[in-house]
Amino acid sequence: MVKEECKALLDALNKVAACYRHMVLTIGGTADSQNLREELRKTRQKAQELAVANRNKLTGVLKDKTVSKEDKAEFERLWVIFSTCLEILEVDMRRALELGHEFPLNVPKKHLIQTGMSGGTSGVAARAMSVQNMKYEADHNIDVVDLKDLEKEINQVGEMMYEMEMKVNVPHWTVEAKQDPGAELKSTVSMGASSMGMISVEENKSFCDISKVLAGVIFSAVLIIAIVLAVCVVKLS
Amino acid sequence: YTVDPKGQQRIWSALCPYHPLQIEGLLMEMQNPDTGIKTHTQRVMITNIPHAVAGGDILQWIIQHLQITEEEALRLGTMVVKFGYIYPLQEPKNLTLKTDNNLYRFQVSCLVAKMLWLCVTPTFPSIYLAKKNIKRKGDLEEYEKEHYNLLNKKINYKWDFIIMQAKEQYKAGKERKKADRYALDCQERAYWFVHRTPIMYYRQALMKSTVKSSVSLEGLVKYAQQLLTNDPFLAVCLPSNPWITDDPTFWDLNAKLVEIPTRMRVERWAINFSELIRDPKGRQNFQLFLKKEFSGENLSFWEACEDLKYGDQSKVKEKAEEIYKLFLAPGARRWINIDGTTMGITVKGLKHPHRYVLDAAQTHIYMLMKKDSYGRYLKSPTYKEMLDKAIVPQQTVRKSSNFSFTRRQLRSSPSPVILRQLEEEAKAREAATAVDITQLCQFTAPVPHLAVYTGTRAPPSPSNPSPSCLVPTNLPLQSPGHVALPNSTVCPSPISVALESAPGLETRWETNGCNSSHFPSITESTEISTDSESGPCNSQVPGHADTKVPPKARMSLSFSRFLKRGCLNSPVFATLSPKCPAVPHGKVQPLDDLEQQLQQTSKRVAK
Repeated sequence: MVKEECKALLDALNKVAACYRHMVLTIGGTADSQNLREELRKTRQKAQELAVANRNKLTGVLKDKTVSKEDKAEFERLWVIFSTCLEILEVDMRRALELGHEFPLNVPKKHLIQTGMSGGTSGVAARAMSVQNMKYEADHNIDVVDLKDLEKEINQVGEMMYEMEMKVNVPHWTVEAKQDPGAELKSTVSMGASSMGMISVEENKSFCDISKVLAGVIFSAVLIIAIVLAVCVVKLS
Repeated sequence: YTVDPKGQQRIWSALCPYHPLQIEGLLMEMQNPDTGIKTHTQRVMITNIPHAVAGGDILQWIIQHLQITEEEALRLGTMVVKFGYIYPLQEPKNLTLKTDNNLYRFQVSCLVAKMLWLCVTPTFPSIYLAKKNIKRKGDLEEYEKEHYNLLNKKINYKWDFIIMQAKEQYKAGKERKKADRYALDCQERAYWFVHRTPIMYYRQALMKSTVKSSVSLEGLVKYAQQLLTNDPFLAVCLPSNPWITDDPTFWDLNAKLVEIPTRMRVERWAINFSELIRDPKGRQNFQLFLKKEFSGENLSFWEACEDLKYGDQSKVKEKAEEIYKLFLAPGARRWINIDGTTMGITVKGLKHPHRYVLDAAQTHIYMLMKKDSYGRYLKSPTYKEMLDKAIVPQQTVRKSSNFSFTRRQLRSSPSPVILRQLEEEAKAREAATAVDITQLCQFTAPVPHLAVYTGTRAPPSPSNPSPSCLVPTNLPLQSPGHVALPNSTVCPSPISVALESAPGLETRWETNGCNSSHFPSITESTEISTDSESGPCNSQVPGHADTKVPPKARMSLSFSRFLKRGCLNSPVFATLSPKCPAVPHGKVQPLDDLEQQLQQTSKRVAK
């Protein structure tokens, strides 16, 4: 039970970290906006909450002497995953801070880098926050205001990592990965991947399929209405 | 796959007189909707991705904005592409600026210089490769597969996370617009292509053996205890600690190649071999001893290997060739005695020379010196003499001349330019005395004291005319080893200096027929580098060559120099000037024919 809970918490943190990375990669480019900065803030705070939850749970379990050897090994493995995730998160947060300082949004002289990206990241943010739609309620100078909080939170994460190393004695290099290299290929179901050279044909196909189905439905509906009208006309006349 | 910030800085400062921050400013300017570069839309199948710029437009913009020549703008543009600020869209692996309609795009990732420091952990490239693996369904390129496997071995304990994160990043990416996803893919690929590392760095890291912490801690404690008395802050410093008494005598007495070192310093050489070899004065003294034992070539070889590893990397091929000719080739003038296997590995590696190609041989020679010569050295009259000569300075007590209200006289240390001149002179003097020994005994060769190891940095080439708004910078070098070496040797390689000055030079040209075609090219490059450099080096080397070489050799040397001047062609000259990044590849010596000879001789020997 505890193992499943830990795993679930870790998966949640992993998901939020991945979304955060996507958003951080957008800062400074043409898709940057006040909304993005708000999304970053919210995602980051969620990540922190999850990190604290993970840490509490895992430290509790690792300190528990009644845990069996196999379970302990598994929890140590999860611990290593957790600390690596925090490491990534911290780097991304620092990057966000640097870029945030470098690219303030309300200064007309500072131009955004023309990275070729123009769409928003609201979908990514919604995925991170596990909501259907994102609500934007922040001020229009959040890009500057948020930086102080960001700095504080980076320090918090740094301290958390330090405490973790001091209190929990898990030598990382003794943990062996469960998954073999290349395991990432096995369980990804939907393979509508965009390969490097061109947008994949498969994706286009599925897109067209949906629109085709929709067109078919509309057509048949129109046909039915036309038939019904014709029948009415015939009946009335 | 890693970002090596120091290495990048070194490469950047060697190749480009502009500081990275200035480049960033320039790139920001390019984004200006009014005065920046015109953008086009890139069309990929049915998707349009904006913000593509043409190479020709980039070039024109740089020329107009910076008011520089087309050639320099092209160089700057290529640098910008090489370092990843702009990446090519149609030929992603070709990191040059093409001035036609080839399209490029900007990316933020490389932009902030400080951020280069943030990606040093190998976790990031691993996640990238795993993600790419998913996208390509396992169809990675060969070098990517190799990197993947090496990274897997190196950070195996993180691999579960890497796979988890790669999958999640892939899924999160689907929430973005298709065009954005494509642009992001291109951008990431370009970033990691720019920041890939030669695989051997990883192979080396994997091969390092690990030590138990109890053992290493004991070693650390022992080291600290042994060297406690040498620490000027924790123990008494003779004559006085300059930081406390403001008296720089301590530094003067302990200068790199001071005539008479302090006793403490000489005693330190007896602690272990690495203490001896990291002190330039210690090496000098050790070399004296080795010459008497007729094994001076060992230390010279070791020093040449260090120069290869930490010196100017654009000259790696030439340096490796010279080292081979001087130390390793059959019948070489200063042939070193290494076993057949190591020789075989080294010669094989020399076909594709890189900075670590001589590691195996260097380690062999190092261990040889350590186990064999070092013990005898400590008992030798050379060392004992040095110990007797060594001075023990008197401890001076600081006079309490404190709180005088007159401004204290600030004395500045001598200019590094002057220091370098003095060292060159000292080197020349040493080489001169060494030449006499060669007359007596044909087995030893003159030992050039390599300016490289005196630890002073060559100042960045002052002959570079930079545009008015940009100033060349001098970024500090930090080498991983103990010895600080200049990153761009403005002076010619000391080996070639030795070649030039050695009286036995003309005889070499007859005996080694197959080498002769390459010899002129090497000395030609030496000529060119002596011609092109400015500053103190110039005054020393030609003078040295003229006065120390006996008349017969001098005549033949000057005749050959005259011949070579005639065939000096400007592209060669231009490429060897400090400004230009590329080294002409036409001068690569094919070692195949030499290797075949080696194999044949070894076969004969084996039989």
